Amino acid sequence: MTKDELSTEIKYPPCKLACPILTDVREYIQLIAERRFEEALASIRNLNPLPRVCGRICTHPCEAACKRGQVDEPIAIPALKRFAADGPWKGRYKAIMPDKSTGQKVAVVGSGPAGLAAAHDLALLGHHVTIFEALPVLGGMLRVGVPAYRLPKNVVDEEIQAILDLGVEVKTGVRIGEEIKLTDLSEQGYKAVFVAIGAHKDRKLGIAGEDGFEGVVSAVSFLKAVNQGENPKVGKKVAVIGGGNTAVDSARCLLRMGAETVHMVYRRSRDEMPAAKEEIEEAIHEGVQVSYLTSPVEIFGEDGNVSALRCIKNELGEPDVSGRRIPKSVPGSEFTIDVDMVIAAIGQAPDSSFLDNELTERDKRIYVEDPYALMTTHPGVFAGGDAVTGPATVVEAISAGKRAGISIDLYLRGEPLPTTEQMEAVETAKLSPALIEKTRKFARCSKISLPAEARLKGFDEVDAVLSEDLATKEALRCLHCFLGARIDKEKCISCLTCVRVCPLGIPTTTKMGEIAIDPFACQACGMCVLECPVRAIDISLDPHSKIAREIEWAISRSQQVEPVIVGFFDLHGNFRSSDVESLRQDYPNILPVMVFGLRRVDTSDILKAFEFGADGVLLAGCPSDTDPFPETADRVKRRMAHARTMLEALGIDGARLEVCDMPDEGLVEKELIDGLIQRIKGPGQAR
Amino acid sequence: MIVLEQKKFQEIEKMTTGYNRLLVLGCETCAAMSFAGGQRQVAELASAIRVARKTTGEQGEVLEEAIARQCEPEFVDLIKDEVSGCDAVLSLACGAGVQMLAERFQDKVVLPGCNTTFLGVTEELGVWSERCAGCGNCILDKTAGLCPIARCSKQLLNGPCGGSMNGKCEISKDVDCVWQLIIDRLTRLNRLEMLEEIFPVKDWSPAGHGGPRKMVREDLKS
Amino acid sequence: MKSGSNLERILESGQFAVTAEAGPPKGSSPKVVQRKGELLKLCCDALNVTDNQTAIVRMSSLSGCVLLKEMGVEPVLQMVVRDRNRLALQGDILGAAALGIRNVLCLSGDHQKFGNHPTAKGVYDIDSIQFIQMVKTMRDEHKFLNGEEISGDVPFFIGAAANPFADPFEFRVIRLAKKVSAGADFIQTQGIFDMPKFIEWMKMVRDRGLDEKTHILAGLIPIKSVGMARYMRNNVSGLSVPKEIVDRMADAKEPKEEGVKICLETIEQLKEVDGIHGIHIMAVAWEDIVSRIIEEAGLMPRPVV
Repeated sequence: MTKDELSTEIKYPPCKLACPILTDVREYIQLIAERRFEEALASIRNLNPLPRVCGRICTHPCEAACKRGQVDEPIAIPALKRFAADGPWKGRYKAIMPDKSTGQKVAVVGSGPAGLAAAHDLALLGHHVTIFEALPVLGGMLRVGVPAYRLPKNVVDEEIQAILDLGVEVKTGVRIGEEIKLTDLSEQGYKAVFVAIGAHKDRKLGIAGEDGFEGVVSAVSFLKAVNQGENPKVGKKVAVIGGGNTAVDSARCLLRMGAETVHMVYRRSRDEMPAAKEEIEEAIHEGVQVSYLTSPVEIFGEDGNVSALRCIKNELGEPDVSGRRIPKSVPGSEFTIDVDMVIAAIGQAPDSSFLDNELTERDKRIYVEDPYALMTTHPGVFAGGDAVTGPATVVEAISAGKRAGISIDLYLRGEPLPTTEQMEAVETAKLSPALIEKTRKFARCSKISLPAEARLKGFDEVDAVLSEDLATKEALRCLHCFLGARIDKEKCISCLTCVRVCPLGIPTTTKMGEIAIDPFACQACGMCVLECPVRAIDISLDPHSKIAREIEWAISRSQQVEPVIVGFFDLHGNFRSSDVESLRQDYPNILPVMVFGLRRVDTSDILKAFEFGADGVLLAGCPSDTDPFPETADRVKRRMAHARTMLEALGIDGARLEVCDMPDEGLVEKELIDGLIQRIKGPGQAR
Repeated sequence: MIVLEQKKFQEIEKMTTGYNRLLVLGCETCAAMSFAGGQRQVAELASAIRVARKTTGEQGEVLEEAIARQCEPEFVDLIKDEVSGCDAVLSLACGAGVQMLAERFQDKVVLPGCNTTFLGVTEELGVWSERCAGCGNCILDKTAGLCPIARCSKQLLNGPCGGSMNGKCEISKDVDCVWQLIIDRLTRLNRLEMLEEIFPVKDWSPAGHGGPRKMVREDLKS
Repeated sequence: MKSGSNLERILESGQFAVTAEAGPPKGSSPKVVQRKGELLKLCCDALNVTDNQTAIVRMSSLSGCVLLKEMGVEPVLQMVVRDRNRLALQGDILGAAALGIRNVLCLSGDHQKFGNHPTAKGVYDIDSIQFIQMVKTMRDEHKFLNGEEISGDVPFFIGAAANPFADPFEFRVIRLAKKVSAGADFIQTQGIFDMPKFIEWMKMVRDRGLDEKTHILAGLIPIKSVGMARYMRNNVSGLSVPKEIVDRMADAKEPKEEGVKICLETIEQLKEVDGIHGIHIMAVAWEDIVSRIIEEAGLMPRPVV
């Protein structure tokens, strides 16, 4: 199935669809919103063995696809992922180990994200995995490419350790192709091999002076030295050639290592720059200068050292095959900058020289027969990650590792390998201007970062993790793509109630009364679900039946402290997760039921609470400034008035139903609860 | 649509007392659209009865069920088993539905949970108003598409009476004088002269004054 | 002569007619009607006996008419379509004819919701215009509504009401024309306080030549107190009481005298309006003021035709 088919058939949210490993972003964001942090981590971790890495350095295509991005700003998905992955609950995740080993041995060559992901998945499938790593340290580019201020080394170590804990063996300092040939591996009993050696060889600049002077350095070797603590020599005035993440990483490292000026030279304009936007912004913020539309022409030197870089200005011409416009130099626009060091970061290729004759290469990359199955021309040998695609992102590497895991498992079981068309990016559907207008805007959480001066003193991590409050608040900005109202056409009587109650005007009708609710546009407020007179609409974000179940469950576990009060609390209240616990400590008779807005509670739910044995019901709504659908508040109030009338008709004092707004602190004012309890206990309640 | 309203709970409670196994039966067309007897109201009412029974100590189970239309024998027959297992059926349909149940379940107590009010339109969610009296002899061609039988408090055919003020009926400031509306509309249509003629007395026999009404289509019946 | 009633004779002879209202009691005693008859018989040409006025149950108007007739006062039988279907209406018309009643005023009636039996079923089988037409057919063609022959005469002087102050104003004259063409021999209007509006209405009546085809008696309601003025201004649908009237009553030292004064001024103005053939005084619960008003208006003694 292609992504396009997936998007229409399964209705994946755009964030999930944009992720190379189809991370269920929406799900873990939901779980964060509900303060189920541990489950949020499990949701991520089940698919991704490197959540803490991805929470920091993933290029998050999910965020670019996010529907809220059309309304104001997208959900801060990486920050939320990091929050879920970094929290104090992180050690509690336990992978589900297979019942027994398959006894099959698999070799993984390279311990970068692709290799690690493959090793992880294969180990969980019961295979015996050995990782061969040429360097003395594990992690590939994660360890030796990405600087510590973005990805602290302990994070990499801890995530790798969790993978090794699954029983994965490691052999470091072993370069396959040298002392052990690929073919030797099968003799050693490895039934399959996954080659994920990355792309560690910098491309040459191809200009005069490149090889003549001290101080011309390749970015990968520079970063490798920095990341291994080798403290390489750094110039005072440095030019970094290139516009990718490696270039930016090099530039920011240079500043931290004492360079006075760092000058990035990039041949196209800022819009075409392949490095992550945030990274470029941070680099500039820290003091990196960037010359766009500039190409290096020649490196000059004095006394054997670099002394200057001659450049030429470009203008953009016709687009090339990748759609990016080709830079063309402007005659006579040459200029020179004084530098004592030049770092070349214009792209990397796999260093596969030692695999000569064993694997087919194309365009200096390892060739695989099918980009999904990842088998090379050599049966049983699979390859993936940067070594196959050229320098790409960590999540693409993980994706390759996971696909290799599936392929190798099938291969080992003698089953046919999957094939697929190239996955194409699916563009997020556009919201109508009217819907955008009606959607309530909520400011995106701001990043908490070290000030620039403090950063440059060392390699401390720049960005801090979100607090629980900020994380839940941010998660509540999610617009719930495809989690909203679904109509059961068989039950629908075309009464138009949904059309009339929707605060966003999403349901539509035809002349013949066929009602349609755009599942992408719907934001799951739930109004139509409750108001539908024939219960023909349900919702995926907390189905209506769930509330009744939760009431029953809450009452069933009540400790018989009277009076029994069912408390409905609006998740949008943005209270702390400890508030519920502290409320329960003070008032063990209050049984909390968390809801996405009081609009989710119907008269019948309130009656159900009494039916199941409650003596009173408390509903605490969020303050109107955090309510995504404030226009529904009035209708909800009138619904509660109806419920009260109904209770009175049953001979139950309507004052046993208390509806209030949450205060600034905590869930509900104590006086209010005390008042409710007093009214319940007070005289004159019996009919 | 036929507009219904649920009876007051006290009346329903009194009516259903003593029937241990009570089936609350919804009707998923007009009653549902009136928010009087669809599944949502069935759940609400059944829950209310259960809560009330808890306080009074009355025993028995309150069951919930709904069918598309209680005025159709085929739908009604589909719930034969549920009905046979209960002591009484509380129907949340219009009077026609209640009677169809009584007809199909000869030995079962059938109780009306709703009042059938009128044939009307939805002005907006939660607001319905009468438009048709089912008089059996439509005259809307002569009254600018506005019915004085259903909407004039005195069913005047040569209105308005002397109580029409500011476009409102003498009985309430919330009731439009339909004759004012008729005159306004005919004025807009430049057809006011239509009202100069005296409208003759009406034949009320098709309106039910000629006895219970029945319609037979020979081409359709079995 | 259509009916030979005193009212018909006075109007047909071109004289200014005076009628007044005599409501029957919420009880069975004939004395209330008889007392009102005594009070009014010398100053009026005929007395209207109301029919469950404002939908409050009272002695039937036909009985009241008979009581008046017995004492030599000419009654006008008011009949509303609210309480009787076409069978009852025609039966009562025949009965009234047999009892010597000669004037009938055909009305819709106030809605039952206002009365003391607000849960009653309103009949409204036919409307007031159809009622007028029905009585005319009974009188002129000796035919029931269904076309069957009536034996004997049904001699009635047929009256109808008109309210120039209700809405829509422009349609009010059209509706009067319908009543006239249905067979209204005389018209008694709603109580007049808003003279400019009434004059405007009368102009439209004359433009259509309706004043030539029917006798229009202008309605008057003597005001007893400022409270009554206010109540009529704010609460009675179909009445137009200008603010000046309320103010005059409020400022008056002796409100009753002011009420009489207002009434007399109105009569003087009405005398100047072309097409007005008489007045109809509705002095509900203030019947004893009527003779004074008629006296001071210079309309005494009543002519004998």
